Amino acid sequence: MPEIDPRTLLVLVPALPLAGALVTVLLGRRLGPRAHWPAIISIATAAITAVLLLVGLASDVSEKASRRQPVPPVEMVTTLWQWVNVSEAYVPAANTPAAEVGEDLAARAAGVPASLPFAIGIDLRLDPLTATMLAVITCVGLLVAIYSIGYMHDDPGYARFFALVAAFVFSMSMLVAASNFLLVYVFWEAVGACSYLLIGFWFQKPAAAAAAKKAFLVNRVGDFGLAVAVFLLWMTYGTLNFHDTTLADGSLMPGILGAERLAATAGIVGGTVGTAICLLLLLAACGKSAQLPLHVWLPDAMEGPTPASALIHAATMVTAGVYLVARCAPLYVACPQALTIVSIVGATTALVAALIGTVQNDLKRVLAYSTISQLGFMFASLGTGTLLGFTAAIFHLVTHAFFKALLFLGAGSVMHAMGGVIDMRRFGGLRRVMPVTATTFLIGSLALAGVAPFAGFFSKDEILAALHSKGWSHHAGEHHEAVLHADHAAASPWPLPASAIQPASLRNERPPRHLLVSASAGEQVKATNAGTFRILYWMSLFTAALTAFYTFRAVFMTFTGPTRVPDEAGHHHGQSGSAAHESPRVMTLPLVILAVAATISGWLLFSTEALAHFLAATPSLAAATVAATATPHAFHFDLALQGTLAAALGIVLAAIGHLGRSSAGPQMERFLGPLQPLFASRFFIDELYAALVVRPLEFLALLAAGFDRYVVDGLVNLVAAVPLGAGAVVRRLQTGLLQRYAVAGALGTLLVVLALAWRLRA
Amino acid sequence: MTPSALVLNGLIVGGMLFALGLVGILARRNLIVMFLSAELMLQGISVSLVSWSRHHGDWGGHVLVIFVLTVAACEAAIALVFVLQAFARTGRLDSAAWQALRESNLPRSVDHELPAVDAVTPIFPRLTPAGAAPEPDEDALLEREHV
Repeated sequence: MPEIDPRTLLVLVPALPLAGALVTVLLGRRLGPRAHWPAIISIATAAITAVLLLVGLASDVSEKASRRQPVPPVEMVTTLWQWVNVSEAYVPAANTPAAEVGEDLAARAAGVPASLPFAIGIDLRLDPLTATMLAVITCVGLLVAIYSIGYMHDDPGYARFFALVAAFVFSMSMLVAASNFLLVYVFWEAVGACSYLLIGFWFQKPAAAAAAKKAFLVNRVGDFGLAVAVFLLWMTYGTLNFHDTTLADGSLMPGILGAERLAATAGIVGGTVGTAICLLLLLAACGKSAQLPLHVWLPDAMEGPTPASALIHAATMVTAGVYLVARCAPLYVACPQALTIVSIVGATTALVAALIGTVQNDLKRVLAYSTISQLGFMFASLGTGTLLGFTAAIFHLVTHAFFKALLFLGAGSVMHAMGGVIDMRRFGGLRRVMPVTATTFLIGSLALAGVAPFAGFFSKDEILAALHSKGWSHHAGEHHEAVLHADHAAASPWPLPASAIQPASLRNERPPRHLLVSASAGEQVKATNAGTFRILYWMSLFTAALTAFYTFRAVFMTFTGPTRVPDEAGHHHGQSGSAAHESPRVMTLPLVILAVAATISGWLLFSTEALAHFLAATPSLAAATVAATATPHAFHFDLALQGTLAAALGIVLAAIGHLGRSSAGPQMERFLGPLQPLFASRFFIDELYAALVVRPLEFLALLAAGFDRYVVDGLVNLVAAVPLGAGAVVRRLQTGLLQRYAVAGALGTLLVVLALAWRLRA
Repeated sequence: MTPSALVLNGLIVGGMLFALGLVGILARRNLIVMFLSAELMLQGISVSLVSWSRHHGDWGGHVLVIFVLTVAACEAAIALVFVLQAFARTGRLDSAAWQALRESNLPRSVDHELPAVDAVTPIFPRLTPAGAAPEPDEDALLEREHV
């Protein structure tokens, strides 16, 4: 697209859905059953725009890659307007956590202001990571919106639904396109708000209202982490921008994730502060992406409409945490302990969620736990801290968005046909009733289980490869030494502009203190790292087998066996007596498109290595410290074999348990024995939270409510009662008889006269 | 007559007028009489003002009295309009006719009949009615239904 400025396109991607949302809000009632048009048109144009951006950027990157290796980072930032501008807001002081960087700042060239402005612009950025995310969000968003035309028809909140979906696409696009942490925080909250509104879409239903509240409150814990992380980042770096900016006096202010800082090997703060930032960001990611301590909201979020679950709680919003960690990759690489924790959290979540998923009987909940589990895979991959790990996580994010959206929409199609019943024990053998849904659901399941030619196979293989290379590689832990050596050599792969403020480490002979801290910490971690990652690898492999098991358990229970349809199905559309039927074409078309994507996207992106190379040009992943971990791209046959064997094992076990049987019979009890209640009750995590957090807070709320009702309100009522009582007494004087009033007036005057006489008696 | 005796006499007259007016207002329920009593009180004040003015030998009191007279004239016009309107509404000059303006939950004050004096009710002979009944004037009835 040489004619159109990519910046314009970049602004259009979020702007169009915003316009769609506003139009739907304003005209929704008037449009009636056509209320989907503004949202569909705006998201469709946004999707086209995003794909154009992606294609343009990809050709740009490949052209640059043909000229120079390694690929230089590609980024483009456009500032719409300045939101906040406070001059001289940041003075690096010796007693702040910024002291470590303060040394650097003080050591910089003369002419650098001692204080930095707090300048927040509405900055949108374009780089490979953002372009990939934008394309996924808008394309999946479009398909889900089209599907919703069929799924949500005749709903009283039809217009509201499409307004919310468009608003969500806007918020999510802004979240991945924002180029400073404050804007990320704003839209982090905005997607949370959209999620809350969509979970509670049927707010008349108490379960939906409670689930929305739960999602909101649990997310608040994570958002608190993000807020504190943003504060710490500001204290530490004196800026919140990702990109480098030019200050008023012409000097260059390196952004936290700008090319300037990332070109150096020591621009990122490690040590205690760095680890704290990384862990707080991880807390935020855990909240949004439903990782272990904060995963409890996602299964309940299935109370919302199924298309919303597919778009927000499977394909896009829940991957915001993965995006955040990938975006902050250089920060994590500087803190190896934090990275290891990311991996441990991810792999543990994957395992626990998969175990719970094996005993769920609600089709959507199986998929919800599967989403948590797959997100856990992504986090485990991110935690390896290698380029392979980061790109594998994003790769899995992309393929997962396709096949999980497919599975959710398939589940919605089943639910639609079954008249709202989603309990797998109540129906079965649906492949004869709804063949298109059954076929596409099977394709999605194969992709999720990681069977050979489907998307999930390649991305899961990448993740396992990343974990494996961390656990068994001879180079494990040597990256940190490489960092130190590069620092001494003062080598920078990119020429710096003359006016640039060079990080002190490039010019100082002495490596800065914080680098020594992080390096020594890295040495300590190195000793235990490999062992940890070996355990994580086996955990992930076991989880992969479990994934295949619970996925195909759901497939067999729903689509095979004798055909059984619940009573509710016949009443759909008021067609009395008619049997359950395949969903309308407007719903099956997105299923087919997504099935095609779930089939070919993995092979396409893996075999051409397009995504990995493309993503490597993202500034965050092209950072010197991250790029140093790059390994040659290869197909790991032995790992693929292990993964496939695990998947096959899971499918065979599921087939033994469920294939050809009626789904109504006893399922997991005989299989799991005493473990079944543990899994079925979700490891008692909800109960634990109820006992530790909810009950004490409820008791406190009860006390506060009592205090408010009886003490505060009592005082207020007392104040109100005094004039009321006085009025009741005085009111009796108003008799309507003029003579009484005249007497009162005369007596009053007499009183005044007497009082005056008394005063003047002397 | 000494000046102080003069002012004293003036004040006595003024005070008596004022007291008469006050008693009239408090004791009478006829609106016109009450209004006249109020005028009486005003004049009592005026007399005392004039007396003081004369006693001190300045014109302030006189001027004020002229002023009060002017105001009283205006006030008389307005007050009489009020009385007329009140009469038009209720057909009565009794101030108690307006006691509906009391607080809503208070009982109505009822005039107690004085103990009957034994009086002989004269019995007049009545003629047998004859001829057509007189046609009442509808307009007059609407206008002054209580009369």
